[in-house]
Amino acid sequence: MKPTSAVVTDEALLQNLLGDISLPGNGTPLSVGVLATLGNPQPPAHCMRTCLNSRADAIESHGCPFLVAAAEGRVDDGCLKDGHCPRGYQAAARQIALGDKHAVVVTVGAPTHVDTVAHLFERVTQLLEENTGFAEEMIQNYEQLNLIFDLIPQIAELSDTRAIERLLLQKVRHLLRATSLCVHDSRGGWSWLDEYGEAGAPPPGLSAQQLELVASTVRNTSHIQVATQSEYELLAGALVHLDNAVNVVIALRPSRNGAFTAGDMMLTDSVLAFGGQLIRNNELHERLHALSFQITRALVAAIDKKDHYTSGHSERVGFLTRLIAQEFGLSAAELQITEWAGLLHDIGKIGIPETILCKPGKLTKEEFDVIKKHPRMGYDILKPIASFELVLDGVLYHHENPDGSGYPKGLHGDQIPLVARIIHVADTFDALTSTRSYREAFSYERAYEIIRQDMGKRMDREAAEAFFRAFGKFQENEPEKFERLFLQHREQTDDPA
Amino acid sequence: MSRILVAEDDPHILRLIAMWLKRNGHDVVEARNGNGARDLVVAETFDVLVTDINMPGLDGIQLIEAVVSTGHIHRGIVVLTNRWDHGEIRERLSQWDVRVIPKPFSPSRLSEVVDKLTAVDTSEAPHEGFVPDQSSLS
Ligand SMILES: [Fe+2]
Repeated sequence: MKPTSAVVTDEALLQNLLGDISLPGNGTPLSVGVLATLGNPQPPAHCMRTCLNSRADAIESHGCPFLVAAAEGRVDDGCLKDGHCPRGYQAAARQIALGDKHAVVVTVGAPTHVDTVAHLFERVTQLLEENTGFAEEMIQNYEQLNLIFDLIPQIAELSDTRAIERLLLQKVRHLLRATSLCVHDSRGGWSWLDEYGEAGAPPPGLSAQQLELVASTVRNTSHIQVATQSEYELLAGALVHLDNAVNVVIALRPSRNGAFTAGDMMLTDSVLAFGGQLIRNNELHERLHALSFQITRALVAAIDKKDHYTSGHSERVGFLTRLIAQEFGLSAAELQITEWAGLLHDIGKIGIPETILCKPGKLTKEEFDVIKKHPRMGYDILKPIASFELVLDGVLYHHENPDGSGYPKGLHGDQIPLVARIIHVADTFDALTSTRSYREAFSYERAYEIIRQDMGKRMDREAAEAFFRAFGKFQENEPEKFERLFLQHREQTDDPA
Repeated sequence: MSRILVAEDDPHILRLIAMWLKRNGHDVVEARNGNGARDLVVAETFDVLVTDINMPGLDGIQLIEAVVSTGHIHRGIVVLTNRWDHGEIRERLSQWDVRVIPKPFSPSRLSEVVDKLTAVDTSEAPHEGFVPDQSSLS
């Protein structure tokens, strides 16, 4: 029995279906050759009809080389060159020449069943197309879901908004298989990312004006945009920061790698929306944090003002405390809270009368006993604040000495919390190098010497050594900041005109 | 073009995986369950096996046990498993060199892993670390 028709399909389901058909036959049997092919996702339904409707003898009279070859079990390029071959065969032969070797032969009982088979084929094809559409959507959804699953734990590790944004953008770039990605920020600046990280400039051939045009479209419409410019595919969307500051993100890839799809747009849209939410939360958090830090600094500065000779003392001690603490390998969060402790160490002085605090000359024992109350007073003031244990330790124990000669408790060595030992060194150094109501400022060299000689007695050795290392590095690496924070203050106090 | 066997009992997911891998240029054979997959591996050879864990009959782990000894999977095995018992499954699979991908799977991750396994690199074929049980190959 000779096959008289061919259908091109790569659908396993369709092959099975057509393979299962057994229609009751009378009259001339008609054979349908069903050729499974690959790489033809949308089998042309009209092929089937054309093929099935061609008269059985038409094939023979044209002497279709494909069928001849197929019957002999060989298919070659020659099949493609024949102009007489009906469309279905040609397409099938092309697919077979491209490497597919499967052929299923279905026997249809009678020519009258041709329409039934053609109709069935059409309907199945339609369903398959719909199914493929759903599957496509599903694939996109899976991708989005995974992106978000991956992002959440990674972002949780980060606290810096810029780092979060960078991570987000790298993910988007990777997912879109974009060769590079740029951001037009709300102040009109450009920044670039490529697969290796930060990059300098747009790829050759693209002008800033072209990109700006896309960016302004996104700003105006607040919708995802796609465009093709100078052989590049562009996909642009908005990443909205706090106060509605919009960063336009533009992903680029060469047009030869294919245009961006609707799926790419949806994916980018949801990632940017989700990422924007995270970024805004983080910015709000950062802002509140900065605000409370500013308020604290203002409060502390007001206390320092009580004694005009110690202006800026608390701020410098806060800074030095963090500097020293960095030598102990603390986490970013611990460093932050340690700095707060340094900043607030003398907050208790708010309760000490100015007559004692600013008294020129030596204090009486009674007056000194009043001064000695400031760590406890500071502790009492800050105690109601939740999760401030480290700060409370620093405030209460910053006048304890390793040899037990300090106050308020006369703790020894390791009994004194590290944060307090650090503050003690920072506080002593700044006090020694500042002019006080009862004496002139010491030179740095002299202050270093005093601290060194006191190590193991009133100074914790570990903290003092960390101070020498850290302060040395600081002066070397950040001369301008050193000048601003330390030298200017000395010029003022050394020469109180 | 590499030959991939996909074993997955959920027909929709199976279709999705097959469609995605075909689109990425692979030749895909589908198996609706572990037993079917095992029979195919016994009869034929594949470059990569992509398998689900929870399947009726032979489950993913039993399937791996069965196919590793045939030596008929040349490049490697990829396991798809539910996100929540991901860690536990990883543990149970630690005796084999398999790639584990949590479900719902990331399509791009799946194709990345499969591409890496099937990458033409004669210096390290079969894929480094994937060593079928040599004793049962004779
Ligand atoms: Fe103090």
